[in-house]
Amino acid sequence: MGSFELVTPASEEEAIAWLARAPGGEAAVLAGGTDLLNDIEEHRITPRHLLSLRRLPWNRWNWIGPALEVGSTTPLVDLEYDPKVRAQFPGLVTAIEAVGSVALRSRATLGGNLGRSGSASDLIPLLLALDASAEIVGPKGVRTTPVDTLVVASRRPALGAGELIRSVRLPEPRPSAYLWQRIRPAQDVSHVGVAVAWSPADGRWRIAVGGVPPRAIRIHPEAAELPPRPSSPEREAAARRAAELLPLSTDLRATGEYRRHVVHALVLRAVGSVTAMREGSA
Amino acid sequence: MSAVGATLNVNGRPISLAEVPDDERLLDTLRWRLHLRGTKEGCRSGGCGACTVLIDGRPTLSCLTLTRELEGRGVTTIEGAPDLPAGRVVISAFETEGAVQCGYCTPGFVMALTGLLGRTPPDRRSPERLLRELQGNLCRCTGYAAIARAVERAHREAP
Repeated sequence: MGSFELVTPASEEEAIAWLARAPGGEAAVLAGGTDLLNDIEEHRITPRHLLSLRRLPWNRWNWIGPALEVGSTTPLVDLEYDPKVRAQFPGLVTAIEAVGSVALRSRATLGGNLGRSGSASDLIPLLLALDASAEIVGPKGVRTTPVDTLVVASRRPALGAGELIRSVRLPEPRPSAYLWQRIRPAQDVSHVGVAVAWSPADGRWRIAVGGVPPRAIRIHPEAAELPPRPSSPEREAAARRAAELLPLSTDLRATGEYRRHVVHALVLRAVGSVTAMREGSA
Repeated sequence: MSAVGATLNVNGRPISLAEVPDDERLLDTLRWRLHLRGTKEGCRSGGCGACTVLIDGRPTLSCLTLTRELEGRGVTTIEGAPDLPAGRVVISAFETEGAVQCGYCTPGFVMALTGLLGRTPPDRRSPERLLRELQGNLCRCTGYAAIARAVERAHREAP
């Protein structure tokens, strides 16, 4: 592994000031490191400095009314094992369980996953379906941006110089599901991931698809126009529209045409599963 | 590359390490600096589970963990597993079921299962869930049937 210097600021201000001064391309931000350290080991990137976030108090979460605010360095495994998070955000926990292994998720973080913005991220589609936003701190202060705006392409989050993701906010608990398609169930990368959530606040559905380069996408609202408890033909029609409307790309993992078939099947199942959750709680 | 000290607790003993390079991984610290060779290097990229240790009780991949990021934390390796009640149950279950073939993956499986048993309250544990959570540990001898029996036994006998 190429050598780098670890920088471990004790405060947010110090972290921002250091990052804002760091020459472009020479610094990388270290949260859990499960993705970053592999990129360094494989010489895909060669940062001279890693800014470690471990001393910042960002590794916990708070309930703010119904909303869940997750500090960006919260290990995924903490969310996965929390009974309340599991009950309120079932799809999020399913998506977390799709990331690597338990022993990887004890290091991997929500903020790291978002900051790396992998096109095959299992978490980003679910964050899109939950209308999650990120709280970003930087030299100009604090700003909040929807995850949909933050994620541009793999490894390219829309962050300015000196900016860091401090937390991720999930505005309301939603019945939600995440389904993926891969070659092997464990330790593999999803070539399609479908997230579905239903919002009690506005009575509408959200559908997002991941695993597709260059980034996870929210499905066209027209395809997600469904009654709160859709019948089987209504679910089928939504799944067909979703598959037709998505611009699906071909890469080394799968062809666009194959992905289209999978999206159709997974949207159908995920909407069915969220509908069942809603009926169970009614 | 800077190199400063780090203090960790390893298998119940405080250990001060001098001159730890910033890019040193816990896996290498354990094997080459502390001579705890029970922790194995498999893929070195987070895909096989052979290097699993416990950090503050949680199963963690030592290949993807920088040693200096663990300042002040507690590490338990396979060498420390017999000191844990769950560790003793797991080791004995692997022995009884003959769940060790070449043995290279065994320390990772034992540490992962020990951490999972220690972490999940008995009423929320099931053999199925434990097996699902062990999906990150690979056995290249494919001795999974015996490992699955050992998991079921450890689940029955765990404190």
